[in-house]
Amino acid sequence: MKTMRVDGNVLRAMFENGLENIRCHEEEVNMLNVFPVPDGDTGTNMRLTLEGGLKSTKPAAEANLFLQSLSKGMLYSARGNSGVILSQFFNGLYLELSRCPTVSAAELRNACIRGYRSAYKAVVKPTEGTILTVTRLGIENIRAQIGRRTPVEDMLSMYLAEMKKTLTITPELLDVLKEEGVVDSGAIGYIYIVEGMLKYLYGEKIESSKKIKPASLPEGMSDAPGPMIDLDHFNENSVFVDGYCMEFILQMMKGKDYLKNFRLNKFINDMSDFGNSIVAIQDDMRVKVHIHTKKPAKVIETAQAYGEFITFKLENMQVMHNHRNTLKLKEENRKPMAVVAVVNGEGVKSTFRTLGCDAVIDAGPSMNVPARDFVDEYAGLNAETIVVLPDNKNTILAALQAEKLYAEEIGEDKMPKIVVLEAANIAEGYFAKAMENPNETDVEKRIAQMKSGIEGVSCLAMTRATKAFSNEHVNLSEGDGFVTLDDEVILGCPASDFENEWANTLIRGIVEIPDIADKEICVIFRGEGTTDDDEYILTDKIAEQFPLMDVAVFNGGQSLYSWIIGIA
Amino acid sequence: MNKFAIMVDATSDVPKSFCEKYDIIVIPTHIKLPAGNEIMWQSDWDQYPRDQFYADLRKDPNGFATAPPSVAEFTDQFEKIAAEGRDILFITISEGMSGTYNFSKAAADAVMKKYPDIKIHCVDSRRYSTSYGLMAVHAAMKREEGKSMQEVADYIEENKNRYHQAGWMDDLSILAKKGRITNAKAFFGQLAGIKPIGEVDESGKTSILGKARGAKAGYKVLLKYMEETIENPEEQIIFIAHTMRQAQAEEYKKMIEEKFHPKEVYINDIFPPCGVNIGTGLMGAFYLGKPISEGLVEEKAIIEGALAEG
Repeated sequence: MKTMRVDGNVLRAMFENGLENIRCHEEEVNMLNVFPVPDGDTGTNMRLTLEGGLKSTKPAAEANLFLQSLSKGMLYSARGNSGVILSQFFNGLYLELSRCPTVSAAELRNACIRGYRSAYKAVVKPTEGTILTVTRLGIENIRAQIGRRTPVEDMLSMYLAEMKKTLTITPELLDVLKEEGVVDSGAIGYIYIVEGMLKYLYGEKIESSKKIKPASLPEGMSDAPGPMIDLDHFNENSVFVDGYCMEFILQMMKGKDYLKNFRLNKFINDMSDFGNSIVAIQDDMRVKVHIHTKKPAKVIETAQAYGEFITFKLENMQVMHNHRNTLKLKEENRKPMAVVAVVNGEGVKSTFRTLGCDAVIDAGPSMNVPARDFVDEYAGLNAETIVVLPDNKNTILAALQAEKLYAEEIGEDKMPKIVVLEAANIAEGYFAKAMENPNETDVEKRIAQMKSGIEGVSCLAMTRATKAFSNEHVNLSEGDGFVTLDDEVILGCPASDFENEWANTLIRGIVEIPDIADKEICVIFRGEGTTDDDEYILTDKIAEQFPLMDVAVFNGGQSLYSWIIGIA
Repeated sequence: MNKFAIMVDATSDVPKSFCEKYDIIVIPTHIKLPAGNEIMWQSDWDQYPRDQFYADLRKDPNGFATAPPSVAEFTDQFEKIAAEGRDILFITISEGMSGTYNFSKAAADAVMKKYPDIKIHCVDSRRYSTSYGLMAVHAAMKREEGKSMQEVADYIEENKNRYHQAGWMDDLSILAKKGRITNAKAFFGQLAGIKPIGEVDESGKTSILGKARGAKAGYKVLLKYMEETIENPEEQIIFIAHTMRQAQAEEYKKMIEEKFHPKEVYINDIFPPCGVNIGTGLMGAFYLGKPISEGLVEEKAIIEGALAEG
C-alpha cells in the first residue's frame, strides 16, 4: 500500500536513509565538484550538513516539530556553499509545513517549491545549472501532476525523475561543467538525498556497511575537524587565484560597541565587494555567512561591527583545488592492469620484479600468504585490473579470499577487477609473465597470453624429507632427498647417496616428464644452500642429456626447495 | 658506369657482394667504441671480427654508440660522384630513427648549388638495417632494367611500406634501451626460450606483436606470417638477418626455401652501425609483401591467429 501521509517518525527515517545514500556517494560527489571553486568537498559538506541537522533533532511524531528541529540544526551545521543552500532549502520546506503534523504529497510539493525559493534567496547571485535549477525545475515541471490522491512515493518518484532529467542539461547552462564534462555536484548530491528518502518508503534501507569509512577517504578529505590537507599542495611558487572559503556564525550583540539595525540585504551588499559565492542567512540575532574571498580581513572587519563570531572557518581553497588536481592526475594515471606475484626467496623476488611485476609478495618458507597481505598490496596498486600469480594452490585460495575482504573495505564500485591465475608454482608464474606482451593494450588479451604461458609447464622440485614418507613411487626415510613432478613425489634419493646422486635424480625426474621430447625450455631456480658448482654440475648434465634445451638459471634463494625447475 | 649512382649509408647492411654486383655505394658511418676511439664503418668485418664485436657489445652495451655521417662527409661523398657528372639517388635510413635524412638533404642542396646540372635525390626508406638494404638492392635492380632515377625514386616511394620483417628477437634488452622498439619503457629483457615476434611499423621501429614459447612454435608462427603477407615469393631474393643466431638462421633458411621456393635466400650480417642498437638475438626474414597496415593491426591479427593455432 502506498503512503498518503508521512509523520515525523517516517520523515526522520526518510532523512536518515537520504543521509546514508549521500554518504555512499560522498567521494563521487566530491570528485564532480568544479563550481564555484573546484575544491572537491561538496559531497562531504552536504553530508555533514544533513548529518549535523539530524543529530540535533529530537524524536517527534509530528512532522512540523521534527522539521523545525532539523532545519534549525542544519542552519548551524551547514558547511560550504552547497551545505548552506541545502540548509536554506530545508528551512523553506519547514516554513511551508510548520502547521502540518502529517504531510501529504500535495503539501510536500508546495514545501519543495518554497524550499527552492528560499534557496534562491540565500544566494546573492543565483547561478543556473546548479542545485538551484535542479530543485526548481524538478518541482515546477511536475507540480500540476500532483493532486490530493497522489501517494508520497509517486510524488517523490516524479520529482526525482524530473530532477535527473534537469541534471543532464546543467552542463548546457554552466560552461565550467561543460568544459570539465561533469554535472553539478550539489545537484547530484541533493538527488542522492531525495533518492535515499524515496527508497525508505519502498522499504529499501540503505546499508550502513556501505558507509565510506574515514580511513578510506583520500588524504585531505577526512571529515573532522576540517579537511586534513597535505600542505605540500601549496608553496611559495603556487598561484593563488581561488581565495579563501570563509564561513562563520555571527552573534549580533547589543551595546554601544556594536552597530544597531543589522539589515541582511545591506550586509550582503557590503560583502559582495569582498568576494563571491555569498550566502547569508539570518536567524533572529544570528547570521550565518558563507563567502569566497581573497580579503578575509575586510570581511571580518565588516562583520565584527555588528557582533562577535560564534564559529569561524577559513580555508585556503587553492590547497584543495591543487589537491583535487593531484587526485585527478592519479585517476588519469590509473594503470589498466597490474600484476602481483607471490614467491619465496630474494632472488626469485628480484627475477619477478625484473619481469615487470608491479608487486611481489614474499610468501616466506611456509608458503602461506595471509589474505591481509594481499589486501594491502591491492590497495597500493592503482590499477583497474589486478592479476595475481600465485606460487601454490593455497595461495590461490588466499588471493580469492582477499578479493572479498578488499571489496568490503573499499566498496564494490571502487573495486578493481581481480584475476587470480591458476599458477601452481613459480615456474608457471615465470612463464605466464614471460609470455605477456607489454605492447598489448587489450587487458583481456594480456591475461590470455599469461594463461597460455602456464599451459603445458612441467615443474620439478627437489628437497629433503623431514619425516618418513612413502607412496607408490618412493619409500623415504627422514633426511632422504626426493623430487616432485607437479606436486607428486616421483623419485627418492637416499641421504647416503645424496651428495653424488642429487643431480642424476633430477635428470631422471626430467626424463619422466611425459612429453619431454617436445619440450624446449628449462628454467631453473636455485634454492638456498646451493652453490655455483652445483649449478654447473646440473646444467652440464642437462646440456648432455638435452642438447637442444634452452636453459636459464636464476639464483632464486628460495627456502625449502633446493631446486625448482620449470620445463616447457 | 651507371648514369646515376645509388648510394646508401652503412646502416643499410647491404652485403659487400651485393654492393659489387649491383653497384651500390655505401657511405661509412661513425661507431664509437668503448675505448673512446671512433671508427668509420662500411660493409665488411675487416676492422672488427663479428663474433668479437657482439661479445664485446654484450659486455658493455653502453660503451658503443653510433652517429650518422656529418653534412660535410655527405657533401664530400656526393661531390665525388657529382664531379663525375652523375646524378645521385641517396636512400636514407628512416627519418624517424636518425638525423641522416636531414643531413643528406643539406649536403645535397650544397652540392647541387655547386654543380647546377647535377640532380641529387634523397629518399627516406622508412626502414633500417636489412629491409633498408633490400630496398636499395631492389632500386639497383630497377636501374638495371633501364629505369630513370625519377622512376626508381618513385618505385621506392610507392613500395617502401611493403618491406616486411618476419622474425623474432629473443633478447630485446638493447633494442629497448636504444629506443628502436615501440613502448621501450616496458620490460623487454631476455626471456628463456621465449621468442617475441616483431614487425616494423610505418616509422621503421619494431613492434612486438606476439610471443611464441620455444623455437618450434616460433618458426611455425613466422612461416605462417610470411605465407599470409608475402607476394610472389618465387621472384624474390629473401634476406635473412641475424645477430649471433647462425644455427637458427640456417634452419629458417631451409624452411623458407622448402615452403616458398624463392630465387635465393641470403643470410645477411648486421654490421655494427645497426648491431649496436639491435644487440644479439635477432633472427628474421626480410621480403617484399602486402602493404603494412596502419598501426600494424592486420599483421597483429595474423600473428595472434598463428599463435592461437599453436
